[in-house]
Amino acid sequence: MNHLGSTNSTLNVTTLRELARKELTSVLDSVRGKKCLVLDPNISSPLSLIAEFSLLRDHGVEKVHYLQQGPIETELRSLIYICRPQLQYMKYIAEHIQHHQEEISDNPNAQKYEYNLFFVPRRTMICQKVLEEAGYHLDFIPFEDDLLSLELDYTFKELYLDGDYTSIYYAARALMKLQTLFGLFPRVLGKGDCAKHLADMLLRMRREVAVDDPSSTLVVSQNIDSLIIIDRSVDLITPLCTQLTYEGLIDEVFSIRASHVEVDSSIVGPAPQKSTKKKIALNSGDKLFAQLRDMNFAVVGSVLNRVAKRINDDYEGRHQAKTVAQIREFINKLGGLQSEHQSLRTHTGIAEEIMGVTVTPEFNKSLEVQQIAGVDVNTQNDCIEEMINRQVPLIQVLRLLSLQSLVNGGLKQKNFEFFKKEILQTYGFEHLQTLLNLEKLNMFVKQVSTRNPYAYIRKSLRLIVDEVEENNPHDISYVYSGYAPLSVRLLQCVVTKGDNGIKNNGWKGYEDVLRMLPGKTFDEVQRKEDSVIRPKRLIQGQQPRVTLIFFLGGCTYTEISAIRFLAQQDDGQREFVIATTQIINGNSLLNSIMQKNEHPGVTAGTL
Amino acid sequence: ITILESYEQKDLESRINNLKVALKWYQDDKEHAFEAKAIDENIKLLQTQSQLEKDLNLPLIGLSLSETIHKCITSNNSGKANKLKSDFKIPDKRFWWIKLKALVEMRDWDELDKL
Repeated sequence: MNHLGSTNSTLNVTTLRELARKELTSVLDSVRGKKCLVLDPNISSPLSLIAEFSLLRDHGVEKVHYLQQGPIETELRSLIYICRPQLQYMKYIAEHIQHHQEEISDNPNAQKYEYNLFFVPRRTMICQKVLEEAGYHLDFIPFEDDLLSLELDYTFKELYLDGDYTSIYYAARALMKLQTLFGLFPRVLGKGDCAKHLADMLLRMRREVAVDDPSSTLVVSQNIDSLIIIDRSVDLITPLCTQLTYEGLIDEVFSIRASHVEVDSSIVGPAPQKSTKKKIALNSGDKLFAQLRDMNFAVVGSVLNRVAKRINDDYEGRHQAKTVAQIREFINKLGGLQSEHQSLRTHTGIAEEIMGVTVTPEFNKSLEVQQIAGVDVNTQNDCIEEMINRQVPLIQVLRLLSLQSLVNGGLKQKNFEFFKKEILQTYGFEHLQTLLNLEKLNMFVKQVSTRNPYAYIRKSLRLIVDEVEENNPHDISYVYSGYAPLSVRLLQCVVTKGDNGIKNNGWKGYEDVLRMLPGKTFDEVQRKEDSVIRPKRLIQGQQPRVTLIFFLGGCTYTEISAIRFLAQQDDGQREFVIATTQIINGNSLLNSIMQKNEHPGVTAGTL
Repeated sequence: ITILESYEQKDLESRINNLKVALKWYQDDKEHAFEAKAIDENIKLLQTQSQLEKDLNLPLIGLSLSETIHKCITSNNSGKANKLKSDFKIPDKRFWWIKLKALVEMRDWDELDKL
């Protein structure tokens, strides 16, 4: 799998990691002496992907605390805060300072504290008013060689519900940084209103740079051939479906945060005394996981079985070792074998746990409802009604209802009101706001016309594929056992070669389909103003081209898997690098727009 | 629309008042007939709940309608549950689900047998 080895990757994202590290250390060095680092809990895990603790210690960090309510106990006198610009954090910090001042006034001999505050990704006016600060720019976090994430958790809600475009600004700035590192993207394509905003902002930023500093003209990128921006609002169906790839299911069941998952430690090792949570890193450093992550869950079991057999055989290999050289060879292998063994145990444990969920009737019921989506509305409605009556977590109900609404272009008036009433009476009236939010986002609406755009889109883009071979996939639809994610199909439209076989023709040939989807479509070409230097990429054809895909509003693990699958199809002719504002699944998507409930019990559960 | 934030209000009186304001807003707007009805029902529910709280000595406010019925049955007040059912026009199907669940929870097999 060529997307996994950093040496093969044309676009070296380690540069990005290096840059982030350098900025971080310069921030740390700006404060002299020993210091205590206070982190926003949401930032700490992405940050750990960039810098390990030893690096922090080398730069004088003695202790790391989480930023939370209540006084902070530390004997260290200089404090560094790194956090997102959110009001609640400002209040905590103000509290800390106040607390320390009281301490000082009690004891006049005490040394004064020194405070430094850094915001990620930038300061906002409102926080500035609360406190004095400086900024540290942390944007794209490289997760894998082909996956970058901004890790902004609520972009979808902010963009589409609140109409808050700050995250577009962050995204544009992060993309701009990529352009300065790797060169201009020769072509920018996209779909969706917010995506258009982003593209416009990107073009404007580039012009601004040119005006500010005429000497630093950007060269057209050698290996990135285009940037494709996909707006989440264009394809809401995909995240609402239950993910069926291994990594996707891990996310659905345990929820992955910054490529780490927390599971009960009894799952992954010999049962300890008390049940504790264990954090497991999920990335391609783990060879077994790299192999499994993009597979449909249906085949994961047999692969695990095969690997277990192989490891066993390797262990058995020691009996064959006769000469000293052979024994030494075996010993050398042993270390690798043991770590492989450990990761096998981990993933068998996780897979078993997931299996436990997938065999439950609830899981299969909701899968069934998804599979027949758009086919038989009545049985579907009965299923959903039964789910409400059994008081399954509201989020599951909403996922299915929104899916149905999207697929059928809305629900019939009668059903629409019936479900709304059922939900309010079962789960509480406060969810009225949730329903209104969903309506505003066009995710749960009543049918207005009988014309259904989705039916047409489904046909022309072949979204539903009947024959699927999960073992030996030849189409991206394997990821959902029969449904090809709309977003990735769109991507395929752009990158597949035209009849002439050389140039990709952008959106050409797909205008009809695009018109049916919400939002603007665009296709812009970026060139250097003085075209003295002709783009060289036409000449050097041997290097694989890289296409950067940016998901505005988040993408799912399954979409990532599907894109990786595409990358393998083209004989390494094209590589994909995925960038996103955050990684989502149906639950996190809906959670962000749900009315927060004061009484626990019937709120979100796990599926 | 954000008047619905009234949920942060702790005491019942002001919560109902806040909802009434919201109700007025929605009633002025023909587009939101459903929302108006829902809020109206909510007010009714809160009032009924506070009455029931006095009668049954159970904490009920803040629960949804279905949960309230569930509570009524588990505390041996099926009559009240039936009244709620007719007051709020709950479909039979859902009512039986709630009842079933509640009775199983209580291990009241006799009552269950009668159904």
